[in-house]
Amino acid sequence: MSTVTDTRTHTDEPPALAVAGLRRRFAGIVAVDGVTFDVDRAEVLGLIGPNGSGKSTLFNLIAGALTPDGGTVRLGGQAVTGWPAWRVARAGLGRTFQIPSLFGNMSVHDNLLAASCEGDWRGAPERARQALALLEIDHVAGNLASELSGGQQKLVEFARVYMRSPRVVLLDEVTAGVHPNIRAIILNAVRAMQLDGATFLLIEHDMELVREVCDRIIVMDFGQVVAEGSFEEIAGNAEVRRAYLGRSE
Amino acid sequence: MGLTRWLAGVIVVAVLAALPLGLDAYSLRIATGVCMWAGLACAWNIVGGYAGYISFGHSAFFGIGAYATALLMQRGMDWPFFATLPVGLVVAAGVAAVIGAPTMRLRGSYFAIATWAFAEMLLQLVNVLDVTGGPGGLSVPPYLNEHFFYYLMLAAAVIAYLAVWVLVERSRFGFRLRALRDHEPAAEALGIRTTLVKVQAFALSAGIAAVFGGIYAYWVTFIDPMSVMGGEITDQMVVMVLLGGLGTVWGPALGASLLWLTNRMVWSALGDTAIYLPILGVIIVAVVLFLPNGLVSLLPGLGQLRRRGHRLLTGMVRKL
Repeated sequence: MSTVTDTRTHTDEPPALAVAGLRRRFAGIVAVDGVTFDVDRAEVLGLIGPNGSGKSTLFNLIAGALTPDGGTVRLGGQAVTGWPAWRVARAGLGRTFQIPSLFGNMSVHDNLLAASCEGDWRGAPERARQALALLEIDHVAGNLASELSGGQQKLVEFARVYMRSPRVVLLDEVTAGVHPNIRAIILNAVRAMQLDGATFLLIEHDMELVREVCDRIIVMDFGQVVAEGSFEEIAGNAEVRRAYLGRSE
Repeated sequence: MGLTRWLAGVIVVAVLAALPLGLDAYSLRIATGVCMWAGLACAWNIVGGYAGYISFGHSAFFGIGAYATALLMQRGMDWPFFATLPVGLVVAAGVAAVIGAPTMRLRGSYFAIATWAFAEMLLQLVNVLDVTGGPGGLSVPPYLNEHFFYYLMLAAAVIAYLAVWVLVERSRFGFRLRALRDHEPAAEALGIRTTLVKVQAFALSAGIAAVFGGIYAYWVTFIDPMSVMGGEITDQMVVMVLLGGLGTVWGPALGASLLWLTNRMVWSALGDTAIYLPILGVIIVAVVLFLPNGLVSLLPGLGQLRRRGHRLLTGMVRKL
């Protein structure tokens, strides 16, 4: 594992998300191997790496969908390691899935209301109006979620995250395969939430998007963090080239 | 609910309330049966339709309600009838919670098998216990007033449907239920404690079924294990919901009406034969092929329902 450098200016405020020594093994395969990193409040951290490098498993460990074999996860200083997903969500974490996971038999509007079941139920209709406007999906509010295009489903899933105003958001390839207009809407929404103090950790293969939106990037390979830094630092890192291209240049 | 729907609901209830005026005793008994099955289908729909968990154990809860009433009204106990209903409700809901806590963590057909096994176990238990009268059953002090039982079943059914409409269609609880039915990991990622919600739904569903079991026991004045805990009771609930509309408020009432009337007509025309079962089979096949969203989707203004019905049905089949 290469040495990684954290160049941020530290304050007394605990990181919005702190992962330390996180490990998870599936039978003989180590999917996540001692991953450690912090994300500050309102920071956008990109998580990149080749397929099978452990990114989605790491997401599931942070979100409580999987239980780690070791290590810790802290949200705003609060230890949430091993908590079930619903409890981690209530502690302030929101997420999207690699494949959009909408409630297909419910309308788009009801999908958004469902996101407020465990939060501000009374204010949900007003918040839903804001979410529909921000993600520009007002015109499909009454449609069944399962009848939407892939891009629209990504927007609705993001809107559902927006409904809960989480402190930390995990986005798993949220712009993969979408039209450039939809990509722009999502980026706009990320920035709007960031301005409100939300912290993002996003898995992305679209390097242009990573360069555009991420304050910092970490690179995973074989379950480990192999590099960390700005986009320019990462782009010039030999370890990263080896991970992606299989050779060092 | 819009004014039109409220008005339609009031008219339907008014017509049902006036029904005994134009019916003979036999027809009134059939109408009472329709109300009972409508209530039972409504109960099953909470778990099967809204939560998407297929229970094959609901006959057990109907039986618990029936036996609670029958036992508490035995000589020596002498409980008033209406006091026995809450007991059946609470016991059935409690048993459902205890059974549901471990089994509702199971996915797909495992839950269906677990509930079926539970119902069979309870059936065998009631068959061998002395206190339940074993296979000989129990008699209940008779109250021979068909009008009373019709109105009681009707009132219970109306309350059950209103409760489901309020609790499941527009409340947080209903959103939680429908969310977990459609995508459980996503529901959990929104902070919904899915196992707890499923157990609550299971307990609510069981409690409602038990109330109808209690009324049934008092109505028919005699119960035995097979008559109140037989597996075909659950089968009827399932088919009624599929026929009427899975995961809809009023679909189970439509399915129960059509199926129970068919049942009685077959019995009336052909006597107590097994021919009803093939007819039931044909109805199931026809629903799956031609009306996957149920009878309720034929009502005007339910285009969205028509489109989602097929997915709900295929989702249910996949889980099995």
